[in-house]
Amino acid sequence: MIELNKVGRMYRQGNREVHALKDISLMIGKGEFLSIMGPSGSGKSTLLNLMGGLDQATAGEVFMDGRPLHAISDNELTLIRRRRIGYIFQFFNLLPLLTAEENVGLPLLLDGLPFSEVRPKAAALLRQVGLHDRSEHRPEQLSGGEMQRVAIARALITGPAVILADEPTGNLDSHTSEEIFLLLRSLNEEGQTIVMVTHDPKAAAYGTRIITLKDGTLAEDMVIGETAS
Amino acid sequence: MSIKYALLAILAERDLHGYELKSSFDHKVGEFWSLNYGQIYSTLDRLEKEALVTHDREMQEKRPDRKIFSITPQGREELAEWLATPVGKIRALRDEFFIKLVFMDKDDPGPLLALLDKQKALYLKQMSKLTQRKMALKKAAQGPDSLTGELLMDAGLFHAEADIRWLTLCEAKLKAAVDRKKTSKR
Repeated sequence: MIELNKVGRMYRQGNREVHALKDISLMIGKGEFLSIMGPSGSGKSTLLNLMGGLDQATAGEVFMDGRPLHAISDNELTLIRRRRIGYIFQFFNLLPLLTAEENVGLPLLLDGLPFSEVRPKAAALLRQVGLHDRSEHRPEQLSGGEMQRVAIARALITGPAVILADEPTGNLDSHTSEEIFLLLRSLNEEGQTIVMVTHDPKAAAYGTRIITLKDGTLAEDMVIGETAS
Repeated sequence: MSIKYALLAILAERDLHGYELKSSFDHKVGEFWSLNYGQIYSTLDRLEKEALVTHDREMQEKRPDRKIFSITPQGREELAEWLATPVGKIRALRDEFFIKLVFMDKDDPGPLLALLDKQKALYLKQMSKLTQRKMALKKAAQGPDSLTGELLMDAGLFHAEADIRWLTLCEAKLKAAVDRKKTSKR
């Protein structure tokens, strides 16, 4: 599903070269729930951004569904980002003026589908994440946990090949976080591939596989549970 | 110390024979705390001397009499007081790993850093297993007993998380110390 082959990411700081990632080779199969752990500055988010086509590797190759993200046109990359990948962020990134239902439907609306067609899909997803009674609420009327559920529903609406989550509960209390992880886990058990960056071992423990980055390299790779098929 | 109160708490629910006490204890807290019959009977002895527990004899045909234990009003009072009192001491620092830390060479930190990594990976694996069991428990059952089980697994997860965070801090401090040494030698 996602394949990284000797991937590196280098930044220039004045005359100095800073290697955020070095020589990372990794295969992520369909149905995996991969947790990426590591201290701050270890390259976790950079790795996630490379997988999602939000950043470009300076060395090596990144494949998504067999297509080389490092060697396709910007238009193609944009389409992959929009249709094949669902993103979940720490700060939810919902649009404040839109209702929950409109936020969930946004990726399809941006793709040009009429709201009449998008609406039932958004409603069904809000039901799936337990928020069917919040469809007309705006983000400011929702709790943090509810906002993240809306963001998860939004990430799901295109039927993405993979969900990429960057510290999805970094801003939530322990109990609310657990409910978000149980939701992600149930999606994974239905076959959804998920890659999640976290510094919290309690969060990582929900994954079926955990990798640890250290100073931009892959330090540990362990498979825990069986992968949903 | 708290074996005494665990037994009192079990007897507060109903009168029991010694072996029933043991199986109830195993059912409720056996997962993280094991007791043998000897400990149970010696604790019951002590509780009787303190007048917190009494026993009746139950006649059995062809077999010796059995003792059936019950909690006294005084026992209930002491149990209630114990339950309501917060625990005053934090967990003891007598983990086997701490002993290793004391004796490992900090001037040549390579082996120690490798050990920290292995220890962290092990805790992480245990946390994964605990999380899987917690999810299975949540799916299988509802009710006060399953909630208690879930909360205890949460406690295990939080403790392991604290250990991992501490191990990460150890690593950072060890590396910083090594770097300082290198710089001062220059």
